[in-house]
Amino acid sequence: MTEILESLQFVYGPQVANGLAIGVAVVLMALGLTIIFGLLDVINMSHGEFYALGAYLAITLVGKGLNFWICLALVPVLMAAIGYAAERTLIQRVFHHKDRHVLTLLLTFGLAIIAEDAFKLAYGPNPFKPEAPITGASEILGIMLPNYRLFLIVAGAAIIATVWVVVYRTSLGAMVRAAAWDKHMAASLGVPVNRVYAGTFAFGVALAGLSGVLLAPIYSVFPTMGKDFILLAFTVVIVGGMGSIKGAVIAGLVLTQIQSLSSLWISPVWSDPLVFGIMVIFLMVRPQGLAGRLGHG
Amino acid sequence: MKQLKLVAALAVAFAAASTTTAALAQGAGPIKIGVVTPLTGTYAGIGQQVKWGIDLAIKEINDKGGILGRKLEAVYEDEEANPNVAVQKAEKLFQVAKVDFLTGTVNSGSTLAVGQVAERNQRLAATTVSFSDAITGDKCSPNMFRVNAKAGMQSAALVEWMVKEKPSPSVFYLGPDYEMGRSTVAAFKSAAEKRGAKSVGEVFAPLDNKDYSPFFGQIRAAKPQVLYTSVAGNDTVRFMSQMAEFGVSKGIQVVGAAGTVTAQNMGAIGKAADGYVTGAAYSPELDSPANKKFVADFKAAWKAEPDLYGVDSYGVMYFYKAAVEKAGTVDTDKLRAAMRGLAWDTPQGRKTMRAGDHQAIQDMYAVKVTGGKFQIIAKVPGDAAVGPDTCTKF
Amino acid sequence: MAEAAGRDAVRAAVAAGDRADARGQGVLAGAFVGLSLVFAAIAAALGDTFFFRLATEALILGGVAMAVDLLLGYTGLLSLGHALFFGFGAYVSGLVLKHWSPSFWLAVGTTLGASALVGLLAGVIAIRARGVYFALITFGLAQVVFKAVFNTRELGGSDGIIGIPQIVVNFGVFSVPANSAGGFFLVTLAFVMALYAVLAWLMRTPFGRLLVAVRANEPRVPFLGFSPWIVKLAAFVLAAIVAALCGSLYPMLRGVVSPELLMFQTSGNAVIMVILGGVGTLVGPLYGALILTSLKSVIGTWTEHHLILIGALFMLSVIFLPKGLAGYALPRLRARFSRAPR
Repeated sequence: MTEILESLQFVYGPQVANGLAIGVAVVLMALGLTIIFGLLDVINMSHGEFYALGAYLAITLVGKGLNFWICLALVPVLMAAIGYAAERTLIQRVFHHKDRHVLTLLLTFGLAIIAEDAFKLAYGPNPFKPEAPITGASEILGIMLPNYRLFLIVAGAAIIATVWVVVYRTSLGAMVRAAAWDKHMAASLGVPVNRVYAGTFAFGVALAGLSGVLLAPIYSVFPTMGKDFILLAFTVVIVGGMGSIKGAVIAGLVLTQIQSLSSLWISPVWSDPLVFGIMVIFLMVRPQGLAGRLGHG
Repeated sequence: MKQLKLVAALAVAFAAASTTTAALAQGAGPIKIGVVTPLTGTYAGIGQQVKWGIDLAIKEINDKGGILGRKLEAVYEDEEANPNVAVQKAEKLFQVAKVDFLTGTVNSGSTLAVGQVAERNQRLAATTVSFSDAITGDKCSPNMFRVNAKAGMQSAALVEWMVKEKPSPSVFYLGPDYEMGRSTVAAFKSAAEKRGAKSVGEVFAPLDNKDYSPFFGQIRAAKPQVLYTSVAGNDTVRFMSQMAEFGVSKGIQVVGAAGTVTAQNMGAIGKAADGYVTGAAYSPELDSPANKKFVADFKAAWKAEPDLYGVDSYGVMYFYKAAVEKAGTVDTDKLRAAMRGLAWDTPQGRKTMRAGDHQAIQDMYAVKVTGGKFQIIAKVPGDAAVGPDTCTKF
Repeated sequence: MAEAAGRDAVRAAVAAGDRADARGQGVLAGAFVGLSLVFAAIAAALGDTFFFRLATEALILGGVAMAVDLLLGYTGLLSLGHALFFGFGAYVSGLVLKHWSPSFWLAVGTTLGASALVGLLAGVIAIRARGVYFALITFGLAQVVFKAVFNTRELGGSDGIIGIPQIVVNFGVFSVPANSAGGFFLVTLAFVMALYAVLAWLMRTPFGRLLVAVRANEPRVPFLGFSPWIVKLAAFVLAAIVAALCGSLYPMLRGVVSPELLMFQTSGNAVIMVILGGVGTLVGPLYGALILTSLKSVIGTWTEHHLILIGALFMLSVIFLPKGLAGYALPRLRARFSRAPR
């Protein structure tokens, strides 16, 4: 009996707790991606670069002496502005083309190429790492967890809950869901559809940027970091259902737990292929994912 | 008869004159050094140090009159840390820019590939960064030389220090799961076990791994006295700061490869790097008149401190100078013969290029990171550290 | 009777349009070959080797881009992981040349067979998905295989494989040594143009039309009595083979193979070549390869940050010229050739 408890405390417990901390951050990234797809029908190949941009903005602001907490609040606002501008100037241009899916994918793909090189140009190739605002570790139920990671879990959960409330319980969210369901109908009902699109894109990348700031103190900041989570984020979105917030949350938490726990039994080099394998299986067997699309359930 | 002799004499004189002018014509232009190094990409920081070291050396050599009266000129190409690009750029340097000598490659794949290009172009090349043992071991090339220390030498210095500090230590190994990461761990492990170390665990994380916390349980359970790691770049930043975050490294001596903590990532690792010990052929803190002058000149020129890669790239230019002066020519075969067994001076002291495998023999040090500086804490003489000659190709 | 006449008129018009298309494509292809030969003559006169080899590399990558165009322009599937097949072909060829026998035909033949199998395997997995999901699967597949090769010591691991011998390409009546820069360039040109010719011909057969039908209106295709799944799989395998065959030439040119050939950058470059050159034209990607390689070479000597410029050019092309250069030229050529001489 004590052996089981001990292994729970020292082996499984920490893995689950760590997986939870990572999972919350991944969910934030995937949320932005799924919202953008759910509403705009756009596969944002540059989502990872917005994640990186958020982290780099934090580095710049912290470098100017700003407190980390202020950055946490300020960066998403800046990201939203950048995202809004990007949508109006770039994505809108190919939006009404008949080959929209492929074109927006290619466009955001080009954007990703530029972004990565731009980071190198602006910040240099070497890594940065801001100091975590909370240090030390606490013991919860006998499991040691750094305080910052605890904060991640709590703050992340709060943000996800807020997003949920905004999308499903406010009139703003209703407009977004209406535009996703039927944009012409929504437009004729007075919903400013183009602005809703741009605003949604802005919101999605703001979430990605926020994720970047939150993870910077534990994962460091460097030009190629945009590729860190991209495969995992897309897998979460596909498994969860493109456009489903509920799906993204469940899939994100479950997949990160699978990654975290599987490293106990199989060599960690296989955790990426494992995740990819799950994505492939879902694409073959249940392409709509766990839940449906935004506006569609 | 007299006319014949006259004609013969004129012919000889003419031949002599034309060969001399030909030699002089070859000697008229500058000696071109091709540098194919990553100027963009993950290793751009290293490429920057390489460039600084070479540029400083070339300026110094040119100010003193060049080599055999000819000035040196560096031609740079970006290899993007990709062997396929390196091969293309190396060929561009040899064929279009017509360089006499090539250097600058950083990762071992590029060095090996470029060595082959050098063979096909009948020119010589040298690496100042790659530390894979294979380059002067089983994959050695008659046209590739190495002036920096190889992994085996770094391990030798580190093991020497470690067993003096903690006799029969228990060691846990964590490395990135690719060729370099695994072979570095294997080299250190075998050297350490020979000196009485006990291995209590080994784990390999994927390259670019984000989160090392899944491994901390294993490390804690093994209770090692020493933790050896061969991660590099961003992986080091994440590994060390996460270890500090979780308090895993308390009471454990963390050691590792020379490339793990460098000037490029030290800023991001911060305090978490303090106490880290490695085996390397250099530290900017090295207390010798030659090094003090070098560091001062380097700082004055580039407003940055030199690191391992900068000093070795500086040194390779002086290696080339000494070899050309000894051979009296830049002809490939004569130069190769001159390089074998050549001893020359560098800010790190006197190095000797071993003829059997083209590996430079040099003194090695155990170096500890303290407050952002690399403190020298022990020394192993070159001959003890260099290890056996395993190159059988020439 | 009138209906039959109407049908015949439509058929004739379609056939005429096809012929005009074919002529337009042929003109562009011919121009490409002409350009290459002029280049070869100049480079040979100047005794160059570097630019020949650079051009050979561009041709090889152009062939890979052609394969991507086959999937994107004709079947409507965007492959973001085609480096997988290119790299696979390079490795198979390199291993054959180094460990089995330094024979051009053996290397190419082995690559043909092996890539067909691998293409089939990958295709069965990937074809299930549609549209953007397909892109993600190909992307993921390439990443997984890249990591696998990177970590496999038997394949040289992260260092790759060096020491691939310089072969002599034997054509029976004459032979071309691989290290003759000009000679191998011409061999590669012939090889890639042969692949192009096969693909271009194939696109004019009923199979080719099926591909276009699947792209235009997939749900309709079963009603015509064909299985879209088989059609897409066939196209996928074909694209895999073409990319792998081009890859098989790489180690003959450079004497090394390394895992970086499987990196996303290679897949991305192929896509950029297709977009710049012209989607759905087969000859466009070859021009795209020419443009991209020249750009990289030229811009790369001025600044290290050439990717920003290339990315910007790519985005501008997607926004303003989504059909690429050839896509812009072909309709005009078609119009010219359609003007019936009266």
